[in-house]
Amino acid sequence: MNKRNDKLGFAFTAPYIIFTTIFFLLPLLWSIWLAFTNWNLISPDIQNVGLGNFIDALKSPAIHAAFFVTYKFLLVFVPLAVVLSMIIAVLVHGLPKFKGLYLVAFFLPYLSSGVVTSLIVKGFLSYNGPLNTWLRNRFDVNIDWLGSPNTALFVVSFMIAWKMSGYYALILISGLESINDEIYEAAMMDGASNRTIFWKITVPMMYPSLYTVLILAVGVSFGIFTEVYQLTGGGPNYATNTWQMEIYNQAFVNLKSGYASAIAILASIVTFMSISVIRKLIEKWGHHYGWN
Amino acid sequence: MVGIKKNKPRTWRYVLTTCVMLLMIYPFIYLVLNSFAAWDQVDKKLIPTHYTLRSWQWLFSNNATAAPAPWLHAFFNTFVVTTLSVALMMLFAIIVAFALSKLNFRGKKFTNNFLLFQMFFPGIILLVPQFLLVTKVGLIDSYAGLILPTAVSLWAIFMYTNFFKSIPDTLIESATLDGATPLQILFKIIVPMSKSITTVIFLFLYTERWTTLLWDMIVSKSDGTVTLNVLISQMFGPYGTYPGPMYAASVLLTLPLIVLFLLFSKNFQQGMQYTLK
Repeated sequence: MNKRNDKLGFAFTAPYIIFTTIFFLLPLLWSIWLAFTNWNLISPDIQNVGLGNFIDALKSPAIHAAFFVTYKFLLVFVPLAVVLSMIIAVLVHGLPKFKGLYLVAFFLPYLSSGVVTSLIVKGFLSYNGPLNTWLRNRFDVNIDWLGSPNTALFVVSFMIAWKMSGYYALILISGLESINDEIYEAAMMDGASNRTIFWKITVPMMYPSLYTVLILAVGVSFGIFTEVYQLTGGGPNYATNTWQMEIYNQAFVNLKSGYASAIAILASIVTFMSISVIRKLIEKWGHHYGWN
Repeated sequence: MVGIKKNKPRTWRYVLTTCVMLLMIYPFIYLVLNSFAAWDQVDKKLIPTHYTLRSWQWLFSNNATAAPAPWLHAFFNTFVVTTLSVALMMLFAIIVAFALSKLNFRGKKFTNNFLLFQMFFPGIILLVPQFLLVTKVGLIDSYAGLILPTAVSLWAIFMYTNFFKSIPDTLIESATLDGATPLQILFKIIVPMSKSITTVIFLFLYTERWTTLLWDMIVSKSDGTVTLNVLISQMFGPYGTYPGPMYAASVLLTLPLIVLFLLFSKNFQQGMQYTLK
């Protein structure tokens, strides 16, 4: 097998090479070309508009919103998901028996479709839904959960955190299990408090699994679409208008293929750069604990 | 905080964990109960008090649409599209990963690096041109249009490549000396050794493909190809007055994934343990 065999190698990688050419390289070039045109998906007449689409995009309030909304989601969703999955991991890790059973149960939300959770949340939070009825009878308040900018963003973040936390907990628990009990015993002998033990021993020692969870969660917050599409359509007043939502609206509702491609290019650049910077920051935090 | 407090009674841990678990599972309970709730109680109570089969009967009759039993057909579409997509993703991932981990050929390093680059590339840029491509070649509103652009999973190739690398080369060398062809080695020796990782990859791919919205939504244009997820999404607005049947349809969409996951949960746990190492 160590003998070099180019034909065999090519035959086995052919599915990947063909797929990547047709569904990655070709669309990539096409979208760069489209971004400089004013094509509207139907018209046979295609004009070169130079940087026009990019200039329009940079002036659009919807794009400004998309840029900031992504970071707002990041700041709400990532901590929420990490805390929730940490609670689950610590709880399950502390059980002497039936760990697997509980982990399976906590993983179930991951199997739900964003469409279904949106349906549930919309019904549950509606004016006559169980939550608002209770709040009305008890505290005499009505909250328009999906109609106010801050609550809408929080609701969507919470839904996705609920969905992902069981999966992230699986990753975190493998980190918890890699820590030797003797370290805890030694720390307790030295009189360390539970809080000190958690922040000075547990968190630094499970850094690799925290890193994985953080990177996954950051990736998720740059790709939010389904929940926003179902529940708010990007509103109210662009408060939940993610890049995905904006690209979908421009390409498939307003039928501006050229403009949508320009936005997609901007979105990709912003996403790629943001994730690289965040990754570096998380790695720096790891260096601080002595991980490389 | 972790692994300590051994003197505290353990029952409290179970009570606490079970409470948190019930809270996490509650949306599913709410979903199922509302699919059986009397129509004037849907979305009104935490736990409905009157039950009926009306929502389910509505779902399986051809209410409100021209096509016969549109919901069952949409379920069938979801099943066909997901199963075929995932089968192709798994097959291609196994073959390509074998080359990238165990074969020696020109361009191997480049292919590996390009794969990694592609994995971290923001995929949203491809949405519009992929849609145009599928439209141009006449695959819009067809199974092929739904399946082919999702027939290769970079993540699955990556996972299999890493796993195959951990299989000792000596095993392959001795099989080669015995006259086995590369395909035989792959499918008779390596694949059977990869059971638990295959379960993990399969379950993640199946769940993700089953619940895909964006791509399926823009490609399927008629009752013939619409998937259940897309149909529920479309009926969300105009049929808002029939929330009961929407809950029944949602149960129909979610249940197969839960059954599948529970069936494979033992292999899944083993596989996760490997992938997280």
